[in-house]
Parts: sequence; C-alpha cells; structure tokens
Amino acid sequence: MTATSTSAAEDLADVTRVLAGEVQAFEGIVRRWQGPLVNMAWRYCRDRGRAEEMAQEAFLRAWRGLAQWRQESSFSTWLFALAANVFRSELKRFPTVNLPMEDIAEPAVPARQHDALAERERYEVLRRAVLALPHRYREPVVLFYFHEMDLSVAARTMGLPEGTLKARLSRARALLRSRFPHLDQESLSPAIAALNTGKEASR
Amino acid sequence: MNRTPIDNAEMDPSKIDQILATEEDLVPTSGFLASVMERVHDEARMPAPLPFPWKRAIPGIVLATGVFGWGAFEFARQAIQASRTINVTQLQIPASVEQPLEQAGWVALALAVSLVSWLLSRRIAGHSS
Repeated sequence: MTATSTSAAEDLADVTRVLAGEVQAFEGIVRRWQGPLVNMAWRYCRDRGRAEEMAQEAFLRAWRGLAQWRQESSFSTWLFALAANVFRSELKRFPTVNLPMEDIAEPAVPARQHDALAERERYEVLRRAVLALPHRYREPVVLFYFHEMDLSVAARTMGLPEGTLKARLSRARALLRSRFPHLDQESLSPAIAALNTGKEASR
Repeated sequence: MNRTPIDNAEMDPSKIDQILATEEDLVPTSGFLASVMERVHDEARMPAPLPFPWKRAIPGIVLATGVFGWGAFEFARQAIQASRTINVTQLQIPASVEQPLEQAGWVALALAVSLVSWLLSRRIAGHSS
C-alpha cells in the first residue's frame, strides 16, 4: 500500500493529462493500479480470468468517470471504491458458484509439518470459505484483508462507518471460527510465517 | 497509511487473520495493460453521446404539461357539472352509480399509482437482470 502515497502526485498528473484529452496518459494509471485491482478482484471471485475481466471493467468505468474524482479523497480511495462497486454489481449479475458455508468441511487430517503444499491447500479452503459467507459479511472480510487489515481504508472503500465494518468483521470471524475450530488452536506454520515476514519486510 | 487500532480481541493475531492476510500477490497477465488500453482507445474514438436538447425540449414539455393540465381540469369540471345537471333534472340515479362518479378521481389516482409502481418494478427488474 506504500504505492498509494508515492504515486499520488503521478496519479494527479495523469488524471489532469487525461482530462485535457491525452488518452495515452491513462496507461500510467493502469500500469500503477493493475496489480492492486486484479488482486482485489481475485479476492472477490477467486477466478483469475474473471478477476482480470472485472478489473478491466473497473478501469473502463474509471476512465469514463475520471472527471467525477473531486480530489477530496485520494485517487486510490476513489478508485478502490469504484472498483468495489463494479465487482459487487458484476458478481450480482453473474454470481460465483460457491458451496454453502455448511458444506465446507474442515480437513479432518492435520497437514504434516513439512508438507507445505498440503498446508497451502488447506489454507486455500479457508480463503474460499470467505466467499461462502453471507453477503453482508463477505465483502468486509475481502476488503479488510485486501487493505492489509486497515479498518479505516476498508470502511472508506465500502462507504460504511468503521463501527459497522468492525461489527461485521467480528461476526464474519466468528462464523469462520465456528467452521474451522481447529485453526485457532494451531500455531502458525513456518511456511505462512515466512510468507508473513517477507510481506512485512517488503512494506 | 493510518492504522486504526482495533480492540484487543480483534487485533489478536489469530490464525484465521494470518491466513487471510497472507495472500500471495497475483501478477496481471502480460497482455492485461494492452487490453485495457485498447478498450480505452476504442471508447475514446467513439463519438461523444449527444446531450439531451433541454433548451428545445423545455418549451415543449411546459406546453404539453399545460395542455394536459388544462385538459384534466376541464374534464373534471365537465364531470362535476354533468353530475350536478343530473341532480338538477332529478334523474333517479342509484347511489351505486352516483358514488363511483364522485370517486372517479380517486380511481384515476389509484390507476396512476399502479402504473407508476408497475413501471418502477419493471425498471428495477431490468437493472437487476
């Protein structure tokens, strides 16, 4: 998310150029934000092809509505809120096929400590389980973790008060914990811990 | 970026939090940028939609509203006059016929409300489909 602050000036310059009629300047915006938007879309649908389609649609909407960015909020806040709206309506039109929450079974056999692949698959089950959450809890979870657990940014993206988002997150976690009761009792695996450390270091 | 502190229970780095927070980043495919820009250029090449000619339309709208308003007023006036005339000539209209005449306005209003709600529901259904 550090890109958000560093690219603010570049975003403003590109938006100004686009609004002045220089279409090619939009490429800079796409180049800077394609990663975050594709990743955000991926968390909404967990389908790579569809994530790129949804991100592309979000960029097109941004292109059409660029003049509506009033600069009261940062460009990234505006773009993420717009993208969230696009993803939400896209998924309403063509919902992803998800199992109901009750049908997602927690793997019975714990992964062996050295079997990183099996463990990753197991964690993927949990990530996919987020998509099976009731709609009102799903999006807060998606956005909260996408924004690296930054409650205020997630709330701004959703256009919800922080308190509401916090309550929904709490309920969503409770639902996930009830579905995966053993996760909290386990210690963090070395593979995930390493991944965590890598991410922290890169921030 | 500002971090809003969450209460201790939520900040507790549970395993669920850690798993959900540690997604590996997806790298967009190499053609993604070109594909987006191609569509942007396509849109830019398209002629801008014609704005609605409000300046020309407003006099017509005002005129049409006036005509319809006047027509409705005249219709109501004639209906009231007719019902009075009927009373003057002492025609024996059964109450079951007279009452609906008086309530014609209400019926018309109810029909209009039904029409509006039907149009609204069609519009909503069209958006959601």
